[in-house]
Amino acid sequence: MDFYITYILVAVVLFSFVAVFALFAVYAERKVSAFIQDRLGPMEVGKYGSLQTIADILKMLQKEFIIPAAADKILFAAAPVIIFLSVYMGFATLPWGPDLVPTALNLGVFYVFAIVSIEAVGILMAGWGSNNKYSLLGALRSVAQVVSYEIPAGVAIISAVMISQTLDLQEITMKQGVLSAVSMKFLGFWDVSEIGGFFAWNIFQAPHLIIAYVIYFIASLAECNRAPFDIPEAESELVSGFHTEYSGMRFAFIFLGEYSMMFLTGMFGVVLFLGGWNTFLPNVGSLRLADWTTGPFWGVFWIVSKVFIIVGTQMWLRWTLPRLRVDQLMNLCWKVLTPLAFFCMLISGIWQLLVM
Amino acid sequence: MTVEQILFYVMSAIALLSALLVVSQKNFVRSIFLFFLTLFSMAGLFVFALADFVAITQLVIYVGGVLVLMIFAFLLSNRELLNNPDSSKQQSSFLHYLPGILVSMLFFGVLLFVFSDLHPESFQWIAQSELNTLKPQDNTIHYLGINIMTRYLLPFEVVSVLLLMALIGAAHIARKERDR
Repeated sequence: MDFYITYILVAVVLFSFVAVFALFAVYAERKVSAFIQDRLGPMEVGKYGSLQTIADILKMLQKEFIIPAAADKILFAAAPVIIFLSVYMGFATLPWGPDLVPTALNLGVFYVFAIVSIEAVGILMAGWGSNNKYSLLGALRSVAQVVSYEIPAGVAIISAVMISQTLDLQEITMKQGVLSAVSMKFLGFWDVSEIGGFFAWNIFQAPHLIIAYVIYFIASLAECNRAPFDIPEAESELVSGFHTEYSGMRFAFIFLGEYSMMFLTGMFGVVLFLGGWNTFLPNVGSLRLADWTTGPFWGVFWIVSKVFIIVGTQMWLRWTLPRLRVDQLMNLCWKVLTPLAFFCMLISGIWQLLVM
Repeated sequence: MTVEQILFYVMSAIALLSALLVVSQKNFVRSIFLFFLTLFSMAGLFVFALADFVAITQLVIYVGGVLVLMIFAFLLSNRELLNNPDSSKQQSSFLHYLPGILVSMLFFGVLLFVFSDLHPESFQWIAQSELNTLKPQDNTIHYLGINIMTRYLLPFEVVSVLLLMALIGAAHIARKERDR
């Protein structure tokens, strides 16, 4: 029975991590936006407003559950849970360090990809259940966007998987650092199996994966419904999209889902393209930097800091770029990203056959 | 009972109950969302059959694709029409259900007959397969990939051509007609 306790413990730790992350990501988001718009942001609660989001969540916990009279009560109540759970379940296979992975599923990549697509159902549920035309329009827009952007994202992921030759996220990470059992080549010509560091990351093992990563990153922005792809909650048109009617804890859950989705897609991209928990420091002669900075704690440190950089970039983009129109968004997806992603997949195949 | 067995029965119960509710539910949109539950617990049952790839594919294709399309079709139709589907026919409800009940009972009878008449242990190929089974820790995706690319290559390619045809057809129908 011991391992059941471990499972539950792991799930609880992951949940608390995600919750704490979401709290401070909201704070960071507000500070980043304030910095970009030359404001101060939250300053009242705690030093530099650092406790602002904790005060916010305390307020939300105490609020009444308001269900609009015309809403479909069951769907309305279930939607935030499904939105959050679909994201939270994705964390089950993501590796945090050497031997530090909740489940080393041999279908990890496919699993995360599938679980994330369930969020669309939750969003539709929220939109329909609210019985509000803004919510419904927001949900329709959001789902159309998520479903379309899954295609370039999926093809970009496949091009990384073709280089790694496995769907197990832990093994994909292993093959990008000093712990690798197979030989790795920087740009396809320089054997870096002993050197490791950033030379062994997928995007440097096969340079066309840089393009694939950019495609994946853009698509992940769209899947998180974040600017410049935030037409589902376009404030000037739709109030706030599919979560217009939500308040209190349910609203908090939707937000928790959104921010953990940012972390999840960021982490998924880091594992596939940017070396996962591997250090960026290479071994230089007798200076075994890569060996020294590889281990369970270092693994968690590296992957969390990499994902923070990615999430920071997402925030930076949100507050710098204007929102895309629907037709521009679909044009970008189908006419630019999808062909480019297929091109990357083609190069991956050739690379795998001729170079590696 | 082990935890696996309990999980299996819980998931089968959810699948059966939600499937029953899907067909008996008056509210169309709710029944579609319940269908999501049925598919999800079916995916869980597939995992117990060591078909984890099928389980995840079920999630991608049915939940991420088919179900969302179905919901779209419903959302874009009239809400009033959905709430009371042909209320004029409500009087003759039993006669209405009769053919359905008949067909399902007959089908159930056939299934029952096959089950009682079948002796799995009498087949030689089932007896032989004892040595040739998958284990939970096997890498099923590996076998699947090899089989699809060797023994089942032709069906695989035929299916992909069929899907391509459907895609081209959909694009053609959706295209704007040129002004003459």
